[in-house]
Order: sequence, then structure tokens, then C-alpha cells
Amino acid sequence: MATVNWRTINIDALDPDSPANFDLNSLTPAVAPVSTTDVQTLAGQIRQLLRGGDNEGALQSALENSPYGADERGKDVHLAVVIEILQSIRQSEMSPILSRIYSAPGGTEALDVLMKYIYKGMAQSSSASTTRNITPQATGFSQIHSRGGGEGGGQAMSVLLSWHEKLVEIAGPGSIVRVMTDRRTV
Amino acid sequence: MAPPEVHHLFHHPIADHSFSADRQTLAVARESNVDLYQRAGGKFQLKDELKGHDKTVTGVDIAPNTGKIVTCSQDRNAYVWEPSPQGWKPTLVLLRINRAATFVRWAPSETKFAVGSGARLIPVCYFEEEDNWWVSKHLKKPIRSTITTVAWHPNSVLLAAGSTDGHARVFSSFIKGVDSRPEPSAWGERLPFNTVCGEFLNNTAGWIHSVAFSPNGNALAFAAHDSSLTVVYPSAPDQPPRAIVSISTQLLPFMSLIWSNESEIIAAGYDCEAYRLQGSEQGWQLAGSLESKGRPGVQDQREESALNMFRQMDLKGKVTDDTKLKTIHQNTINTIRSFEEGGGTVRKISTSGVDGRVVVWTL
Repeated sequence: MATVNWRTINIDALDPDSPANFDLNSLTPAVAPVSTTDVQTLAGQIRQLLRGGDNEGALQSALENSPYGADERGKDVHLAVVIEILQSIRQSEMSPILSRIYSAPGGTEALDVLMKYIYKGMAQSSSASTTRNITPQATGFSQIHSRGGGEGGGQAMSVLLSWHEKLVEIAGPGSIVRVMTDRRTV
Repeated sequence: MAPPEVHHLFHHPIADHSFSADRQTLAVARESNVDLYQRAGGKFQLKDELKGHDKTVTGVDIAPNTGKIVTCSQDRNAYVWEPSPQGWKPTLVLLRINRAATFVRWAPSETKFAVGSGARLIPVCYFEEEDNWWVSKHLKKPIRSTITTVAWHPNSVLLAAGSTDGHARVFSSFIKGVDSRPEPSAWGERLPFNTVCGEFLNNTAGWIHSVAFSPNGNALAFAAHDSSLTVVYPSAPDQPPRAIVSISTQLLPFMSLIWSNESEIIAAGYDCEAYRLQGSEQGWQLAGSLESKGRPGVQDQREESALNMFRQMDLKGKVTDDTKLKTIHQNTINTIRSFEEGGGTVRKISTSGVDGRVVVWTL
């Protein structure tokens, strides 16, 4: 007993009231698990709508069926679909579509989901462009940020930024706060 | 509508404020002290300081009838201050918590008070005549994280608490010998200590900032960090509630709320202004701000001379000074309290915030 270094004992594990001893899932809202194949089937259906020219219907069904319970791969599949829809909608159509979704029942929820995808899309396109555009300089500094001109990531970012602007006009800063607060991630 | 009465007390955040029953004394939590202001004409003047806590004071509440003041602080202690000929006499209350105390409120009966804490429990404290000592009893069970706020039911037995685990809960804090048996209500019939009468979680599981029972106690409202406000109407004990109405606003989150009557809630928070929400079981909606925009004296648009305009542009690079918000509070509103009531409805409310102002509004 004398050899036990008591400073390294994890005392939280011994305390029955400690947060280490309860299931943290009770803190989060329940989400039903979704398999990747289901997400892929759904993605196929949404792309069908998109090919049929029904951009708004595609966006609506993508936002209503966001796979909170899917794993990382499933979530990426759905993100790709949402980004594809967002890029297919012209700038002049953004505001009318958003206000129609907002005034429909459950509209705030749908727009919050859209905000989540916009932020996730921004995180992805910027990380993709940084890995591609690091050009080591003789000075030892590296130019991380691309100028965006003609770059795939930059173009995706500008689409997301204009969606973001239009969305905040309609859903307010409340939707940004909700994305930061929400424990259900996309 | 009378214009709001603004008292800019100092340049420090006010964690909590409370008025005495005659509204002549104002207690505000300022750093590790509680300042007592006395009304003198239209202003409040500093009269006394309650010194005793050695960390930031997080809550202060004046009991309307007995005049006792309870304070709690991040130093994990609570004091009950009683007036005496030699000044305010503090009594230390041992809360038996190992984290900061976050919030304190007297029960309407004024025989006990509840303290929110970071130790995942709620000490409910009452006075033991025999030992001449404040005793605390812990509400513990399903709490998973810091309690940010508590609110009492009018019957002084039921206690609502909001927590950073995203749940708003309703507990029974019935203490034998202190409380009389409560009337059965939609929340519960038999109510031994620590009965959980309700547990509610938002879709997003955001932190709860404020909870409040409706004036008759048959509905519970709570505001969370996802900018939402939820109203729960219970049906019967152990039954799912009759209705849960949740509205997600376009605004920043609310920090505090009170019911002005059964169908109206006043809420305020990070938007620095108070909003009116109206509704019933069928639904709630935002009915607008308490501030009348374009009130005379707000914009304060003086006629500028051309010389002055160019001088401003030269010095600051802009003509108008836009460092002031258009709202009366210049920073987050932390606390809303009822200031004047009559005929079952709240007529005036007081708000305090991070900007060191206490404002009295006429509804």
C-alpha cells in the first residue's frame, strides 16, 4: 500500500456522485441512429428532385431529414448533398426560398439545420483549401490562404457566405446561437 | 406610458438586484459586496455596504415582509442579514457545497430560501429555532450540472430550477415543521422532499438561464441559451404535460424572465432590451420590445455645424458617434424583477444588467 502514489489516483472514479460516473447521454437530446446506407438512399432521392429542377423541394427534404444519428461518413454524404443543392440555387432565388421555408410550420428548425450545414461546409472547404495551398516560401513563411479566384474552395465559400448573409437576414442571430448551443450536430 | 426610470449606479456589472417591499431600499450585488441604496427624491444614494463575502456575490434577495436580506457568493457561503440597532447583522449559513453558489431566492413564505450551486445540488435552507441556526437540506437527485437559476411556486413548496445540463426541473422542497401541507395541484399530490414533479429538456439541450412559475403556479416558463422560451402546462401528477409550447426567437438568448400575468411574459437578455411575449396553451409569440423606438432624446441628433462635421471626420473618421446602443441598457440584462403589482398583474418591473444600471419600466 505504501508504494501506491496517491496523487495519481483518479478520485473522480471513486466518488459515486462524480460526473465521471454517470452516462453523459442523459444530457443530450435523444437521436435515433441512422445507417449510412439509409443516408445514401435519401441522398439519391434528393438528387432525383434536384435533377427534376425542384431545387426548393430538394432543399426542404434535405433539411427535414438531417441524419443526426448517422456516423461521420453518413453525415459527410448528407453534407455533400446539401452543398450541391445550395450551389444549384441562384442568388436571386435565395431570399424568397428562405422566407417560404421560414413561414412554413417547423420553419425555424429547418433554417437552423441549414445554418449548421453552412458552417460545416465552411469548415470543410477552408480545411480542404489550406492543405492544397500551402506553398512554402524561402522566407520560411507559408502562404496559407488562397485568393479564392478560380479556386474550387473559394467559390464554394462565396456561395456559403451569401447564403449565410441571406439566412441571418431572415432567421436572425438567434439561429447562429442555436447552432452553437445545439448538441445535435450535422 | 411613463418613460422608464433609469438609475446608473456605477460602472460595474450588477449580478443581481432586489428592492425592499416599500421600494425605498435597493440592494445590488457589486463584486464581493452588496451595496444598499436609499431612495432620495428621484435618485438612489449609497447608504450602506454589506461586507462579508470574499468572492463575487452572485445573488441577493430581500424578503418583502421580514426585511431580511439573503446573499450568496462564489465563496460557497450564504449570509442572512438582519437589521439591528448596530447595523446589519450577518448570520453565516453553512450550505455544505464544494462549488460556487450561483443564485438565491427566498420562498414566498420567507421561512426558507433556495440556493443554486455549481456542486450539482440545491441547498434549501430553513431556520432551526432550537439550535438558533440555519440548516441546509440538499436537493440532489437527478441534477447533472450547475444550477443557474431557481424560482419558487406560490405555495412555497415547489421549486423550479434551471441547469446547465439543459433541463428545467420542478422539485418538492417540503420540510416537515416548516411548511404546511400544500394543496394538491397539477404538479403533484404527495410531495415528500426531493420529489421530482417535472423534468423538461429542449430539443437543443441548451443551458437554462431562467425559470419562472406563472402567477397561479399552474404553468412553468423557462428560457435557454438556444434563444428559445418554453412554457409547460402540466396536466396531472405523473402524466405527461398538457402542452409544451416552445418558441425559437430570432433574438439573442434571454437571461431572465417574469410573468406579468397569466398570458404575458417579459424576458430580457443579451439583446440589452426587454421583450414582451404573449400567448396561452395554444401558442406563444413575441409581441415586441418594451422600448419605444425613436423616443425623444434617444437619438439626440444635434444640428452639427459644417466645421464641426469636418472636424469629427478628421479626428475620428466618422461623423456620428456610434459607440452607444440605441437601447437604455448598454449591456446584457441579467435580472428582471417585479416592481409594482396590482389586481393580479405586474404594472412595473425593474431590470439590472452588466452596464451597472437599474431601470424601472412601466408596462
